[in-house]
Amino acid sequence: MRGSRSNKMARWWLIGLLLVALLADFIANDRPLIASVNDEVRFPVFHEYGQALGLVDNYAPVVRNWQRAKTDWAVWPPVPYAAGSTDLKNSNYRSPFGTQDTGERARHWLGTDKLGRDVTAGLIRGTRVAVLVGFGSVLISLLLGIPLGGIAGFFGNDGLRAPRYHWWGWTVGGVLGLLYASVSLLPYFGLESRWAILLLLLVAFVLGGLLLRSIFSLLSPLKKETAFPADTVVLQGVELFVNIPALVLLIALIAIVNRPSIGIVVLIIGVLRWPSVARYLRSELLRIRSLPYIDAARVSGIPKWRILFRHALPNALGPLMVVSSFALGGAILLEAFLSFLGIGIPADEVTWGSLLRQSRTYPQAWWIAVFPGLLLTVTVLAANLLGEEG
Amino acid sequence: MRSFEHPVYLIVPCPFYHPKKRPLLTYALRRLLYLPLSLFLLSLLCFGLRAITPGDPVESQLPAADSRMATTDPAAYDASYRRAAAALGYDLPTFYFSVENAALPDTLHRISQPAERRMLRALTLASGNWPAVEMYYFELRKAAYSESSEDNLNVVPITRRLLLQNDPAAMTAAMNTLPDGPLTAPLKAAYSRVMDGKQRSQLLLPALRWHGSNNQYHRWLGKILKGDFGNSYLDRRPVAAKVGRAMRWTLLLNGITIFLVYLIALPMGLYAAGYRSSRFDRYSTTLLFLMFGLPSFWIATLVANYFTTPAFGMDFFPSMGFGDIPDGASWWSVLSIRASHLFLPVVCLAYPSLAYVSRHLRRSAVKELDQAYVTTARLKGLTMSQILWRHVFRNASFPIITLLGGLFPALLAGSVLIERIFNLPGMGQLLYTAAMGRDWPIVIMLVLLNGLLTAAGLLLADLAYAFTDPRVRLGGSSTTTSSNTVA
Repeated sequence: MRGSRSNKMARWWLIGLLLVALLADFIANDRPLIASVNDEVRFPVFHEYGQALGLVDNYAPVVRNWQRAKTDWAVWPPVPYAAGSTDLKNSNYRSPFGTQDTGERARHWLGTDKLGRDVTAGLIRGTRVAVLVGFGSVLISLLLGIPLGGIAGFFGNDGLRAPRYHWWGWTVGGVLGLLYASVSLLPYFGLESRWAILLLLLVAFVLGGLLLRSIFSLLSPLKKETAFPADTVVLQGVELFVNIPALVLLIALIAIVNRPSIGIVVLIIGVLRWPSVARYLRSELLRIRSLPYIDAARVSGIPKWRILFRHALPNALGPLMVVSSFALGGAILLEAFLSFLGIGIPADEVTWGSLLRQSRTYPQAWWIAVFPGLLLTVTVLAANLLGEEG
Repeated sequence: MRSFEHPVYLIVPCPFYHPKKRPLLTYALRRLLYLPLSLFLLSLLCFGLRAITPGDPVESQLPAADSRMATTDPAAYDASYRRAAAALGYDLPTFYFSVENAALPDTLHRISQPAERRMLRALTLASGNWPAVEMYYFELRKAAYSESSEDNLNVVPITRRLLLQNDPAAMTAAMNTLPDGPLTAPLKAAYSRVMDGKQRSQLLLPALRWHGSNNQYHRWLGKILKGDFGNSYLDRRPVAAKVGRAMRWTLLLNGITIFLVYLIALPMGLYAAGYRSSRFDRYSTTLLFLMFGLPSFWIATLVANYFTTPAFGMDFFPSMGFGDIPDGASWWSVLSIRASHLFLPVVCLAYPSLAYVSRHLRRSAVKELDQAYVTTARLKGLTMSQILWRHVFRNASFPIITLLGGLFPALLAGSVLIERIFNLPGMGQLLYTAAMGRDWPIVIMLVLLNGLLTAAGLLLADLAYAFTDPRVRLGGSSTTTSSNTVA
């Protein structure tokens, strides 16, 4: 039933979403792609990017409203409306099939909402948010989960051996270094920039660790060689995280945050999801590390960290990516869920969930309820299909 | 969706294996010991949430008459604020110990207004000279709380703003705008002493301070352990009563849902596995896959739009709440009123879990059906139903038991949406209104309760799993830890 054809379609759907998200400004915009004004050829959409990056200045006679501006000729995007902009001539929920007063402009293909905002443009903007949240949070959970799960699975409880002073020195010294840096050094240097603070904390961690390690190495009871219980430590962390009621906490956290922003949503969803990545990778590496080629590598004297990163991890990443597409669907769903409730995502951002929420105030406007939901459903189904492959 | 799949079938597939010494008790004890640690961390998290919550808890507890004094009579307002903060314990240290910069005094927590505390902290961390800062604070308060008269018209507003200003550069700028006069001269002198007498080397020392058990966290936890969750900020009613009332409805909703899910999912999954690649299996598998992917809040929105509003002439169901029961109604009318209100929410809440459980059961039953004992049973001439229910079901249902542990919190979370969409006064709705209204006593209690339920659900599921399956060797690293499904 679910052969390779539906898998291929699912993959193309996700790639298509990614493209739409990347090119959203060129697909739906209320300014033309290319326009000639008074014999001057302008690229209004491109120009916005340039302005945002600070590369170019405004065009000399500023055109505030391209709809009314006189142009010699203009090439418009396929959907000549922007997500947030209102079209008061077509306000009060115009149906896709009903009469629309758009004049020479294209119809609102999927209707409008109360203020005449185009639903198609909203969906395209929503795709951008969904892709950002989906891929971003999966990336964060992978960044956290891969090292932790990889180390836990590959080294187990007895793979990492070193003298006791090494472990104690690094953990205690690193933590003390971090504490000292944040309590005393930060106010002393009065650092403002985020990167400088991060660098200072990192340096403090390394210096503290090295210092305490060298001090501890003088103490004879700490010279005995032991293994670092990496597996136990990671698993206990996973257990602790599993007990946290993720969704309830998410709502509480996001409602408490002062200024809602997509970045925070991405971060929180990503951080809450690392345990499942770590768990999956751990069980994959438990299998891989007993394969003959790892033994062969070990016998031929390749350092263990190199075996992990060059030989073991790449083999586990493939299945992990496949299974991560589950997480992608989950994260996109969660984002829609949050913006449906109206928490976390800024109020002026148009998303699939916020469109769905609008439909609750005016049930007759079926087009606002049906189209975003359909997009969401197909995306989640595509992600699940890909995930089941693994 | 998180999976709690345990690879039972990876462990010795011998139905008669009984370990001599059952390590179940030690395992249970270890898990039970783990529960308090998790809850302790959860309580720290909740307490931390309180600390970062915007809004001032003391001010929201002040009587309205006192709050009005903030502009007319700041000195009296300060006094009443101080009293309220002391009564609520907000002038205590936050935790049992603190690691701080040694330049900061160990009594900073006694400054009860958070904005002033922030100002003092910023100024001290900029100069390192606490005695000078203290003098400056004293002079600043004297100026800010003085009677405004003709000659110091500007002084009072500027100094009051200075009390809340925590940016040293802006402080200096504001200080320069102050007019000279008898009131401002000592203030300016004190400020220049702060700025000129910088002792930045002081900042390099850290200090570990022990505050003992008289701290905010200790008090807060003690109250919670005694069952006193405080009052809601929004309507000042006791939190426990509000949550209790909401919990009744959520339990009703979720109880019916879980019952229905298992009632339908078990036979569906089993028969789909038993008659693999039959027409029923193919259709049900596709249907369940679609159901699993359909976002329930979309379906709920559609259903609520179409069937509970007159928009399309199909308002078959009532749209709000659980319905009012008239006095002396017969049991039949009670049932029908409740059923008409509960039907749509239960359906929307149940179908994703139904698909989830059923798919899981099918997968594990398919694995069981390949085992030798099934062939034996088939050779003995048992019918498919007998094999499925008597032999396969027990072995295949272990993952389902653990699912129950994870299902419970998931349903609670899912009911946030369903209760919002169908306007049901349950815990989900309460969480939403509390979170939007920044009513943290209620949010905290719900987070704690949910954490407790999650942890207890997982623990119970693990234990039930261990009791039903003698093959599971508990306490080993292979049982609770490996899972093959991500996210």
